[in-house]
Amino acid sequence: MAPDLKSDSSAPQPPAKPAKDAKKKKDEKEDLSEEDLALKQQLELYVERAQDSDPGVQRLALESMRQEIRSATSSMTSVPKPLKFLRPHYGTLKAFFQKMPESELKMYMADIISVLALTMSEEGERESLQYRLLGSKGDLGSWGHEYVRNLAGEIGLEFQKRRSEEEYISSLMDLVKQIVPFHLQHNAEPEAVDLLMEVETLDILPKFMEKANFKRTCSYLLSCASYVPELEDISVLDIAYQIYSKFEQHTDALRVALRLGNLQYARATFAACKDLSERKQLCYILARQSETVELDDEIPMEDEHRDVLQDIMNNTKLCEGYLTLARDLDVMEPKVPEDIYKAHLIDGRASAGASVDSARQNLAATFVNAFVNAGFGQDHLMTSPAESSGSTSTGNWLFKNKEHGKASATASLGLITLWDVDGGLPQIDKYLYSTDNHVVAGALLAVGIINCGIRNDCDPAYALLYDSVTKDDPAVRIGAIMGLGLAYAGTQKEEVLELLTPIISDSRVGIDVAGFAALSLGLVYVASCHEDAAQAILLAMMERDNDDPLARFLCLGLGLLYLGKQDAAEATFEVVKTVNEKISNYCQVTLESCTYAGTGNVLKVQKFLSQCSDHLDKGESHQGAAVLGIGLVAMAEELGSDMALRALEHLLQYGEPNIRRAVPLALGLLSISNPKVRLNVMDTLSRLSHDTDSEVAMAATISLGLIGAGTNNARIAGMLRSLSSYYYKDPSLLFCVRIAQGLVHMGKGLITLNPYHSDRFLLSTPAIAGIVAVLHACLDMKAIILGKYHYVLYYLVLAMQPRMLMTVDENLKPLPVPVRVGIAVDTVGQAGRPKSITGFQTHTTPVLLATGERAELATEKYTPLSSVLEGFVVLRENPDYVEDHLN
Amino acid sequence: MPSVTVSVKWQKELFPSVEIDTEQPPYVFKCQLFDLTGVPPDRQKIMVKGGLLKDDGDWSKLAVKEGQRLMMMGTAEEAPKAPEKSTLFVEDLPENEQGVIEQGFTAGLMNLGNTCYMNSTIQCLHSVPELRSALKSYSAGAGTDMDPSSHTLTLAARDLFGELDSSHRAVAPLRFWTLLRSKFPQFAQQANNGAYMQQDAEECWTQLVYTLSQRLRPSSGETREATLKNLFGVDISSRIKCAETEEETEEAETVYSLKCHISQDVNHLNEGLKQGLKSELEKTSPSLGRSAVHSKESVITRLPQYLTVQFVRFFWKRETKQKAKILRKVDYPLVLDVMGFCSEELKNELKAPRELLREQEDREAGLKGKRKIEDGPAPSSMDWSTTEQGSPTGIYDLVAVLTHKGRSADSGHYVAWVKQENGKWIEFDDDRPIPQREEDITKLSGGGDWHTAYICLYKSRVPKKE
Repeated sequence: MAPDLKSDSSAPQPPAKPAKDAKKKKDEKEDLSEEDLALKQQLELYVERAQDSDPGVQRLALESMRQEIRSATSSMTSVPKPLKFLRPHYGTLKAFFQKMPESELKMYMADIISVLALTMSEEGERESLQYRLLGSKGDLGSWGHEYVRNLAGEIGLEFQKRRSEEEYISSLMDLVKQIVPFHLQHNAEPEAVDLLMEVETLDILPKFMEKANFKRTCSYLLSCASYVPELEDISVLDIAYQIYSKFEQHTDALRVALRLGNLQYARATFAACKDLSERKQLCYILARQSETVELDDEIPMEDEHRDVLQDIMNNTKLCEGYLTLARDLDVMEPKVPEDIYKAHLIDGRASAGASVDSARQNLAATFVNAFVNAGFGQDHLMTSPAESSGSTSTGNWLFKNKEHGKASATASLGLITLWDVDGGLPQIDKYLYSTDNHVVAGALLAVGIINCGIRNDCDPAYALLYDSVTKDDPAVRIGAIMGLGLAYAGTQKEEVLELLTPIISDSRVGIDVAGFAALSLGLVYVASCHEDAAQAILLAMMERDNDDPLARFLCLGLGLLYLGKQDAAEATFEVVKTVNEKISNYCQVTLESCTYAGTGNVLKVQKFLSQCSDHLDKGESHQGAAVLGIGLVAMAEELGSDMALRALEHLLQYGEPNIRRAVPLALGLLSISNPKVRLNVMDTLSRLSHDTDSEVAMAATISLGLIGAGTNNARIAGMLRSLSSYYYKDPSLLFCVRIAQGLVHMGKGLITLNPYHSDRFLLSTPAIAGIVAVLHACLDMKAIILGKYHYVLYYLVLAMQPRMLMTVDENLKPLPVPVRVGIAVDTVGQAGRPKSITGFQTHTTPVLLATGERAELATEKYTPLSSVLEGFVVLRENPDYVEDHLN
Repeated sequence: MPSVTVSVKWQKELFPSVEIDTEQPPYVFKCQLFDLTGVPPDRQKIMVKGGLLKDDGDWSKLAVKEGQRLMMMGTAEEAPKAPEKSTLFVEDLPENEQGVIEQGFTAGLMNLGNTCYMNSTIQCLHSVPELRSALKSYSAGAGTDMDPSSHTLTLAARDLFGELDSSHRAVAPLRFWTLLRSKFPQFAQQANNGAYMQQDAEECWTQLVYTLSQRLRPSSGETREATLKNLFGVDISSRIKCAETEEETEEAETVYSLKCHISQDVNHLNEGLKQGLKSELEKTSPSLGRSAVHSKESVITRLPQYLTVQFVRFFWKRETKQKAKILRKVDYPLVLDVMGFCSEELKNELKAPRELLREQEDREAGLKGKRKIEDGPAPSSMDWSTTEQGSPTGIYDLVAVLTHKGRSADSGHYVAWVKQENGKWIEFDDDRPIPQREEDITKLSGGGDWHTAYICLYKSRVPKKE
């Protein structure tokens, strides 16, 4: 083969050295085997005959040539022999073609020239396409893949040209309609999709879809969606939705509908799905995305079923499932902060056991305790069993916190009984009667926390909170307002709007109350583009002087209203430009970063980067928000976030202090709850946590917690331990270290903060809203988290979700089955049926899934009703399953 | 009677059929629920459309449907009350108390210009609780009789120790330094540029201990034994033997530190101490009537509570005219046994307490599975050898190390490494106290340009009272 190839490559060389070339050609002739020589002579004969005047001879010659070309199969690396031998005659044939009269034979000739053009055509001439259009229609595929692929490429170019010159394109379309089915039949779905996207007629795709190819096609479409410009991505997803609907893949269709944010589609999918078990699965998916479909009479079903489905959709099963997981993994035993600090592992350097309580360290312990025991319903500080007997042990810990610390301590009860509305509320009840306003505020907040992500027909959160919103004490008000925001995030509950708008617009209330009200409104109406809500916040911004650190919550509330809605915020953006200049810049950046959150829009990232390159006077804070914006926009997909990481590294080198302070937070956002994938992020943060600028160090420390959140990652835990001894003398930094330790061990490692779920396909808006709220608060650590508003940390609860795979049978009873859990492999557009996970281990459900991991069923006995194995998955018994007797 | 039957959910319980008499105010309904749940009506919260059910609400407006599920919240529990004694927080304490409590160790000393030799000496001595309490009881009127400069220096030391105990930030020992310079002019040596020069910490240590031993005597006045002598003094008896005449004389003296001589074949503190107790000197022999070489061999006849060991690391180098340093690595243990250097009588005396100590430790090790270093309550009484405080055992624990970094005694840097009462080691580098690990303490044994132990302070381990 090798010498053959060599001669191939030397053949088309331009005659740079004629003498040598001629000699080579001579050699070549001699080199040819007898067989090849015969073929060559044969073909030459055909060419000659094809130019014969007799049509019969012509036809025979063309037919034979065609036979030769088609039968030639050769590897991709070398030109098929017939093509090679016909090459010298390309010009002759072309010339003859011009002279031929219009006839069937001319078309045949055109076909052959079109094929020859594959290797001969000059760059950019698109002769292959040109002759194909002149040739006989149909039977494209018989000329081989390479030809079709080449043709498709030329069509794309030609389409662009014709579009710009406004020429007729229908002849191209005919060709497209031949090529697409050919590709689809030959497992080349990506090529088919690419071609259709190139000629902007993706909408005809669904009618080519068949059972055999729709899955691969859709997976390609879905992964394309992240990389096409805005608006086009909507149409791509729309097509995918149609295809899934066509093949009754309801769960996938629902996911696409949710990605589109199109609740009509979601509803239509739900209505189209008749199977009860599948509907249950749909409800689980809706619950995970905290969306609902109203189960009214238009979707016919039995009342009994309606209740069951409503229950699932309300997320009331979450607590139960989470506790089942915890019991299965045997982690029910409560942990105390000391179990997390592991001071005994720090050799000799730990601070000597202090004899007097430190309010700040106790507050840190409160948070650690809350995060670690989140959702377990029991702990040693707040809910110890002695409590029921009226003993003082609980009260003691509560009162070991100082003033506003008591609010966080009481609220931690909400986090401990997270999602358990029936079991948690009674425990909080008594605190509502306390005479201490901080305790009451905390209890109100706790009510909100418990109900976070859970819907309830009785609406206990609203009933308990609405009264306190208008109380006199600002602490109590903030507690109630924040509680409402957490409990109703993403629900667009109108009563909350009515309750909060007067507070926001009332210029007599403090900026703190107004700020939290705006933030809560932003959460409740997250990504809704609600006009009235936006108006209220804008008005407040114009009337106030906004010099307070908490004014940022006004901006953020406004931004959340348009979260991910891209240009829907344009009008608001113009208004923001006119408000008080102290806050205008910050607000503009926040608004812009929120509206493009999770879109991966490169232009926006560049804009934020250029904002960061300015060197401003002191007191300007919007650059920090711009840095967060980079993270927020770029977190959409892997490539973008990798690029953003590099850009952030630059900012770290050259940025002003206020930019450097935000960089660790953006790093944390980009790999939240995901310590493994990008190890260098962990190293960077570890380095920054020793930075001389203590605010950089604090932000880096918190971010270490964020990237390890809920993973129990031993390396981060070790880093934090050594940080705790390094900063033993600095109470503020030590506080941050403790919080980070709590985050890493969140839910004893069963909880993730990652706002992306369903194979990183869906973004939960309340989750990202909660994370952004905390990150913005971290921009001014001293005033907010280290000040008296530390309870903003509880906004993280919006993003907290069990990172589990829980399999249930059709009656929703837990059903342990073996599953393989491994690192997800990107199989989109790969040939054959590649493995979707690598390095897997087999476990029995329920199991934990880390970010970037995927599970697949290891048994044929059941079929999952969802294609993505995450969260709750309903299993159906496989009727075709035959028990393997060998086992 | 128009009535509606509803189900009521309370906590995890469900009361399936509760009848509401819609003509009666909701309060009646609440009383019904009180019977079922035991929650008093004023503590009940019943969720209905648009908020909570009010006692005087109107059922007709609430549109309660037949079979509707209501949710009730509430418990009979008391609201938690704040404990009567409110928690004391570090943050509430006056600033000067915060440091000590938070850090668990005392403050550093500011460097006033080449005063690290003094700072490290003070930090080492400050770690001796008995000395602290003795100084505390030293009163201003304790006799200005004969030596006013010693008196004022002692007073300054008392005040400085007090400041160290209470302050959370570095203390500037200005007054003490001034008085030290005036009392001992050698420390007031100035360089060309007028700055005070670095001094030998050992000299400072010796002078300070000497001064204090002169001033600090038990207030009772009963025993004339000096306090400091009890604490630091080592009684040794020496036999001086003339090499030529074989004549022997005996001599007893009290020294405040044992010397560890460093020569070619000394690798460990024990060997150095052994050499230190043997020396050769030239003195006039009464029988020969001229000076002759005598060999001197010493043994310890009484052990102090705190044993000071000085490494003789500096020697006068004539060429460079400075106290040059011997960099040789000499290991020292965390637990030192000096039994081998004691006189026969003392050895006998030590036997019983050692037995007792070993027994106690074995028992503890057996009980707790680990060997715990005993640092029992510090004896408050001064004359300890005769009392029930416990008898000396000859076993000593390392409690403080004074190190030197540099090539000559009058240059370089002195640092104190002190073991706190909680067992943690702190490196006092002037105004910066840095926590250290115990294993790093033994690494100060020299052999390089790292901090090298110069003076070690050992504390006697005594058996606990039964």
